[in-house]
Amino acid sequence: MEKIGTFRKEDITTVKKVYFFDGSWSYNVVGTNFKCSVPESTSNTDYQIIQEWIADGGTVIDNPPE
Amino acid sequence: MGSIARTLANSISDTGTVASGVNFRNLVINGDMSIAQRGTSESSVTTGGYKTIDRWQNVGIFGTWTISQSTDVPSGQGFSSSFKMDCTTANASPSAGNQLHISQRIEGQNVQYLKKGTSSAESLTLSFWVKTNKTGTYQVNLRDKDNTRIIGQTYTVSSADTWEKKTITFAGDTTGTFGNDDGNSLECEWFLGAGSTYTGGAVPTSWEAESAGDRAAGLTVNLADNTANEWFITGVQLEVGSSATDFEFLPYDVNLQRCQRYYFDTASVVNGEAGSGLGGIFTFKAFNSNEAAGYNAFPVTMRTNPTITVTDNGGVDGKIHRFASGDVGSSVTFGNVSNSAVIACNETSTFTTGEPNIYGGRIRANAEL
Repeated sequence: MEKIGTFRKEDITTVKKVYFFDGSWSYNVVGTNFKCSVPESTSNTDYQIIQEWIADGGTVIDNPPE
Repeated sequence: MGSIARTLANSISDTGTVASGVNFRNLVINGDMSIAQRGTSESSVTTGGYKTIDRWQNVGIFGTWTISQSTDVPSGQGFSSSFKMDCTTANASPSAGNQLHISQRIEGQNVQYLKKGTSSAESLTLSFWVKTNKTGTYQVNLRDKDNTRIIGQTYTVSSADTWEKKTITFAGDTTGTFGNDDGNSLECEWFLGAGSTYTGGAVPTSWEAESAGDRAAGLTVNLADNTANEWFITGVQLEVGSSATDFEFLPYDVNLQRCQRYYFDTASVVNGEAGSGLGGIFTFKAFNSNEAAGYNAFPVTMRTNPTITVTDNGGVDGKIHRFASGDVGSSVTFGNVSNSAVIACNETSTFTTGEPNIYGGRIRANAEL
């Protein structure tokens, strides 16, 4: 069990966008030693790190519901 | 009546300045190091982050460390805990960009009364107890993260292995303003080691535009240079004014709730410390094979919509427990997360509908700065 609050860009393995019944979504993030859910929130520091990861070329898996 | 009058006198100021005797005068949260929801010790630490004691972050690390909540405290001061850094693998020659420090970040909406950017900007006084075998000169800084400004001072540890109280006053800053929001506006950092990137300048004894070379310019020690090195700190208080008042002890429950604005572990509802196993109070009811929902409120409004991690009975991340049955899923995602509750979880073909399929787990919510 990884302690959270140690989320670093270089630790990210995959990021997947997961949609919920009301159309909202969260990132499912799998890292080298953690799994977590990051909500769409610009003031969440993990969300900010994911945006940096994307800007650095990371690709989000996104399969929106039909 | 006398005590009421004193209380009122402490709470009211008609001078236009912030009264130094008001409750919650300490801008630092968990300054007595008493809350450690993530656990009381973590060993083999080589990367920065929030490791043990709530609200205290190791930013940048070189060497290898055990970071813990210690019971070594200054005698007779009322403290029961301290933040301890213990070097287990030395690095006597940090590279230029290495830094070793701890910090606490403060929300902008909590520092509006400092009147930053005006001619009435308040000075701040930082007081803390420190103990280390490594005597020498250290540097502590306040960083304005909204305007990339800094002010710093040095302090000297003169007696090895002896608790010493340090008091440092920083002038108010008449330049810039703090964002009135939940972002990181003011950061207080204690440098313990640094490479040349951070030591090449001069100690910023007045507010100035931040320069990396100034942040540890007054540092004469490298706490990482020997595995015998250890460093303790407690009783941290940052308050308005030019003198330090006695440390403001808060009731345990108040301190815990202040920390839970930034981090919450369902296990901590038991005793404020990290637990094991389920330790959870959050439950979800499946309404199809992919999703389950339930209104699971956080104990306090969190700083922002938090990152959620779930662990099952065995402590495995991503799995969720199906009550009276077993653990299911492998990478459950949580959604409909606000700063007050988490409502839904989702993983394809994981959930079973119908009675009595209730799902839950140890939830950890992170909204740290």
